[in-house]
Amino acid sequence: MSAPITHLLDGETVTAVAGEVWSALVGEEEYLVPGYGLDGPPVAGPSAWVTVTGPWNGLVVLTCDQAGTADLTRSVLQMRADEEATEEDVDDVLRELANILGGNVKSLLPGPSVLGLPETGAAPLRASDEDTCRVAASWRGHHLAITIQGATEAPVFTTEVPL
Amino acid sequence: MKILVTDDSRVMRQIVIRTLRQAGYDDVDIVEAEDGVECLAKVGSDAPDLVLSDWNMPNMSGLECLKALRAQGSTVPFGFVTSEGSPEMREQAAQAGALFLIAKPFTADTFRDELDSVLA
Repeated sequence: MSAPITHLLDGETVTAVAGEVWSALVGEEEYLVPGYGLDGPPVAGPSAWVTVTGPWNGLVVLTCDQAGTADLTRSVLQMRADEEATEEDVDDVLRELANILGGNVKSLLPGPSVLGLPETGAAPLRASDEDTCRVAASWRGHHLAITIQGATEAPVFTTEVPL
Repeated sequence: MKILVTDDSRVMRQIVIRTLRQAGYDDVDIVEAEDGVECLAKVGSDAPDLVLSDWNMPNMSGLECLKALRAQGSTVPFGFVTSEGSPEMREQAAQAGALFLIAKPFTADTFRDELDSVLA
């Protein structure tokens, strides 16, 4: 069993990884503005996540407010101003962003590890604070959170709020 | 020239195709597959000049697909475009016969660096 995530990663590293993903997928001139950590306000919106299984076991979760998910989708898909993102588009974009964030986080963890397929829904309950690294940020005024949380058989905490 | 883009994410297939265009491959024909099973079938039916494949997919992973292709005697050039690029995965990819592994996120420059020699 590996050390808890807070001994393996810090918020600054996660912010740097997320910034690279944002500029490559969302747009070269798109920036994430870092905000609070674990104690920050909850983000109300849908989540997407991937599991990491290996010496460290847990999830990499992306949660974004509802309006933000639509704008994110439009940016990633480079939609025209008059195009509407479908629910499938939004779901697919969130999944892919979580997948890429997860893959990049996994590469920073002790290995070998296996990445699961991305899922979407309400943010999964999380483990203790010691095994949770959360970065809250804003993008174009939308709130989002990236949480790397240890797996737990008896999850007792939740931070983000599903709609 | 024909490229088979394999990814279970429709969004990622779209981004890969867009990046191919941005990298200057404007005149290649694109064929799409949603997983390794469909990729395997389309290599047979569409005879692509290059396969670009995700690694982690339902039904059949990209690595399983590549191994199946080589077991069938196919020598189609094959490269991974995947969300993870650990040294172990790169080694597994190379041993199975992949030409390269591009880790997401990527840029048009990354595509040109890896694809120019294959498509020349």
